[in-house]
Amino acid sequence: MRLTCSIAVALVLLSGAARAEKDTLTIDLVADAATLDPQIQWDSESASVYRNIFDNLVTRDQSGKIVPQVATAWHYANDTTVVFDIRSDIKFQDGTKLTPDDVVFSVKRVTDPAFKSPQLSQFDQIVGAEVSGPSQVTLHTKTPYPVLLAQLTKLSVIPQATVQKLGDTAFNQHPLGSGPYKLRDWSRGVQITLDAQDGYWRGKPPFKTVIFRPVTDVSTRVADLRAGRADIVRGLGPDQAASLKTEKGLQLLGVPTERVAYIFINPQSGPTKDVRVRRAIAMAIDRDTIISALQQGYGKPVNEVLSPADFGYDPTIEPYPFDPDAARKLVKEAGAEGAELTFLTAPAYDRRLNEAVQQMLGDVGLKVSITMLDLPTYLKRRQGTPEEAGSISQGRWSCSCQDADGVIWPLFHTGSIWSKYSNPKFDAAVDSARATLDEKQRLADYHTAFEILREDVPAIGLFQDFAIYGARPQLKWTPTADEAFFVMDMHWQE
Amino acid sequence: MLRHLGSRLAQAAIASFGVLTIVFFVMRLSGDPTLLLVPEGASREQIAELRHELGFDRPLIVQYGAYLGDLLRLDLGESLVQRAPVATIVGHRIPYTLELAGGALIAALGIGLPAGVAMAVWRGGLIERGLAAIVLAGQSLPTFWSGILLILLFGVLLGWLPTSGADSLASLVMPSVALGALTMSTFARMTRIAVLDELQRDYVTAARARGLSLAATIARHVARNAAIPVVTVAALEIGNLLAGAVIVETVFAWPGIGQLAIQSIQARDFLVVQAIVLFVSLTYIGMNLLADLAYVAIDPRIRLAA
Amino acid sequence: MTGRLTAFTWVILGLLAAFAFMAIAAPLVAPYDPLRQSLLLRLRPPGTVTRAGSFLLGTDDLGRDLLSRIIFGARASFEVAMLSVSVSLVVGTALGLCAGWFRGWTAILIMRLVDTMLSIPAILLAVLTVAVLGPSFLNLILVLGLTRWPRYTRVAYASTLQVASLPYIRAAEMAGAGPARILGRHVLPNIAGPLMVVATTEFGLMILFEAGLSFLGLGIQPPTPSWGSIMSAGREYVARAWWMTVFPGLCLFVVVLCINLSGDWLRDRLDPRSRAR
Repeated sequence: MRLTCSIAVALVLLSGAARAEKDTLTIDLVADAATLDPQIQWDSESASVYRNIFDNLVTRDQSGKIVPQVATAWHYANDTTVVFDIRSDIKFQDGTKLTPDDVVFSVKRVTDPAFKSPQLSQFDQIVGAEVSGPSQVTLHTKTPYPVLLAQLTKLSVIPQATVQKLGDTAFNQHPLGSGPYKLRDWSRGVQITLDAQDGYWRGKPPFKTVIFRPVTDVSTRVADLRAGRADIVRGLGPDQAASLKTEKGLQLLGVPTERVAYIFINPQSGPTKDVRVRRAIAMAIDRDTIISALQQGYGKPVNEVLSPADFGYDPTIEPYPFDPDAARKLVKEAGAEGAELTFLTAPAYDRRLNEAVQQMLGDVGLKVSITMLDLPTYLKRRQGTPEEAGSISQGRWSCSCQDADGVIWPLFHTGSIWSKYSNPKFDAAVDSARATLDEKQRLADYHTAFEILREDVPAIGLFQDFAIYGARPQLKWTPTADEAFFVMDMHWQE
Repeated sequence: MLRHLGSRLAQAAIASFGVLTIVFFVMRLSGDPTLLLVPEGASREQIAELRHELGFDRPLIVQYGAYLGDLLRLDLGESLVQRAPVATIVGHRIPYTLELAGGALIAALGIGLPAGVAMAVWRGGLIERGLAAIVLAGQSLPTFWSGILLILLFGVLLGWLPTSGADSLASLVMPSVALGALTMSTFARMTRIAVLDELQRDYVTAARARGLSLAATIARHVARNAAIPVVTVAALEIGNLLAGAVIVETVFAWPGIGQLAIQSIQARDFLVVQAIVLFVSLTYIGMNLLADLAYVAIDPRIRLAA
Repeated sequence: MTGRLTAFTWVILGLLAAFAFMAIAAPLVAPYDPLRQSLLLRLRPPGTVTRAGSFLLGTDDLGRDLLSRIIFGARASFEVAMLSVSVSLVVGTALGLCAGWFRGWTAILIMRLVDTMLSIPAILLAVLTVAVLGPSFLNLILVLGLTRWPRYTRVAYASTLQVASLPYIRAAEMAGAGPARILGRHVLPNIAGPLMVVATTEFGLMILFEAGLSFLGLGIQPPTPSWGSIMSAGREYVARAWWMTVFPGLCLFVVVLCINLSGDWLRDRLDPRSRAR
């Protein structure tokens, strides 16, 4: 039996090697793309399709450094003005030239409130954009804005003439960009087919055709991979990864990302109003076991609510140790034994982590009841008043900008919808870090901010989350921390 | 007969309208999609602004009026999440839904009917019990489990059928069987009862006395009379086959309207949900009217006016 | 299946009784606390013996004893099925009786409502309702109960129409008995048979329906085990930990099968035509 198997495998390998080149790459998505107009939805499935159709103003290299793409160079004219030099040899897929006007149009369209872009808040620090030379664009920000370039890695450049000719609705159905792939067919819910663009300016795209198929159920995606129906599948959990590890003829691509898993602890309502209870929670949660058992090693411990892949991560912050005895003592001190905590959650969040945390807190004398809501209702309560928001909840946060500003500002700044916390000193620190371009100053500000968060514990960081992909072994690709999915960076090697 | 049909149609139209109205208000009670449409870091003002732009801060009754106005002009509107016409989004899924419903009906009838006849003919014996157990098995296993087992067996291990998707006739087989299994036992049991009822009637005894074989009797006389309850059940199940196939569609990645409905409910994409509800209730009503007509075709003794 | 209690029927009823006992006496029967996790003992195969205990059917994805969870799961699954069947039986029968007795506009109104309800797939209604109310045990019962009543209404309506024309009912009406009394005293006992048959089938279906909702994240909420929630958690591990789905799946299958078979038996017994044979 084993012999025939290995012969079969050898034959498959041989026939594979004989083939000159792989033409079609098939990708299993977690869900269908919601939109292919790159300026509407920013969910990871839509983005992983349309970002292959468009080029970005700037981009990140493998190490995460911001490097040129459509813009060849940039410099700050003053703290609120950045000047970009635009490449003049890029053509859209219909043959027209990409001009600085297209870049300005792209910025203005996504920042226009009337366009109702869900991405607006990522770009709304930009207050002006104009063509300032034959191949030059100038952007103005409200205040000095250190995260501008990180945000611009997500600015897809769209063709002004085509968008205006087609109109927004038609452009969403028939998007056209300057990227390595052009849309052949979008059969909603079934598959999206992209064709390689001849003469693409960054080189020949690695596959002639790329097919994206929405397969919601993770077990089915795994089956697709094992049966060879898909070449790469997105969105595997640690347990699926662990069960595929031993399987021959497959590879797992796991990468630590800028996403941080954390537990929110409500400091403004319920038993967790008492800082001793919050500290007890921090000491009751056994992060190492969560990482080794539940995450199967796909996670790295963090010292604060930030991923080490983000600017501002401070390794000198001391995390709370796992110490159930001390936690029990604190709970007793606070008179909170048997206090009931509401654990607000939604189906999108890992059920196993909820239940594990529930038991760990139960072990130190806190009674946790899990309240499952569907996602919109969950968001309404979590972002509502402190009384609505429950005592604890879990989250996996990424701002797709690899900067502390996009994480702890919205999570903990007074008045932000996610924040149930208010500390003027913390606000001052993160406000200061947001308004200067001086990196040293920013790091110092974030150090102060994280020290304050450590004292007040409005949340605790659990681990740096991993993105896990399953693929055929011939696919060569190094996924990056920003969870970008560029087919251009992949290739096939028999 | 036309009068009867007319009044049924009028009642049906009112029922559909009722369903639509209920769904409209229930959906809106459950919040709106604004929070799902903004990025994680959005501020309260940005959210309020988007909500205003989308029109969700208007009074419910105004929104309802606007919706009915659009509907009267046969305009189903545009999806907020997908920014595409609802008619395109739902319309694209309908062929797949019909394929799956048809496949499931064929699977359910193809196995259920012969099994039901056999159970009636060999009543009380081991054959009946064995068949009953097999037929019921389809109904006693959760689809989300049996579905993945089917995929692992026929898709991965044997490699006979595609593991997911909807691009060939072969990919229709597994979802059809999984969905059909749910109604198969209903058909088998209905058929068994109907055939049992008919078998003891005088005309069957007479036919048998004339020397007609059992098989011939069933084919010639019993089948026609037993068909009526079967048609009724088929018409009743149509709603579940169309949009109730949520789990089958999810497991097999079949692009039907059930999965779309659930996703749209979860995304609060109101207009898409409403369009699906409208489609399903109209189809259900249409199928039941057709079933009424089918009775006449099957058995001319039935008069609809009665 | 004949009306007599054959050995086969005894086996079925015995199995059902055993499961019912298991559900009722769960705390006495279960070897461990069904909620006690041990993250270091996740996904251990059946027959695992450790210092922390011996797990006859293995452990689940959080290291809980699967046997204990299945025993307690029987409880949750039966509770859901029993309560939701009761709700829909009461609501559906009451409406069916009214429609059958008063006829005319009442019947048209009620039977059109039945059509309306039947035209919307139960699962969509359930998802919609849960979206508004949030998933909880009570809401689950309400959702299941209030989407399934039309089936009983149809049966009750048809049977009431038949029974209402019987001479002794007419006599009771003539004697001045009010509708409530007649329906409750005379009509209901006469139509109880077919209703019980529907109820048995629905009982099995409700266990499955809860399982389906669990798959969509809307069923019995964790950490409370139900057969459906154990299986929907376990399906991710079909290849790696088959025991998480196979054992509860087997229980579910046996129970639903037994209930359906006893439903058939009940119908054959209650059906006057088949009794005559």
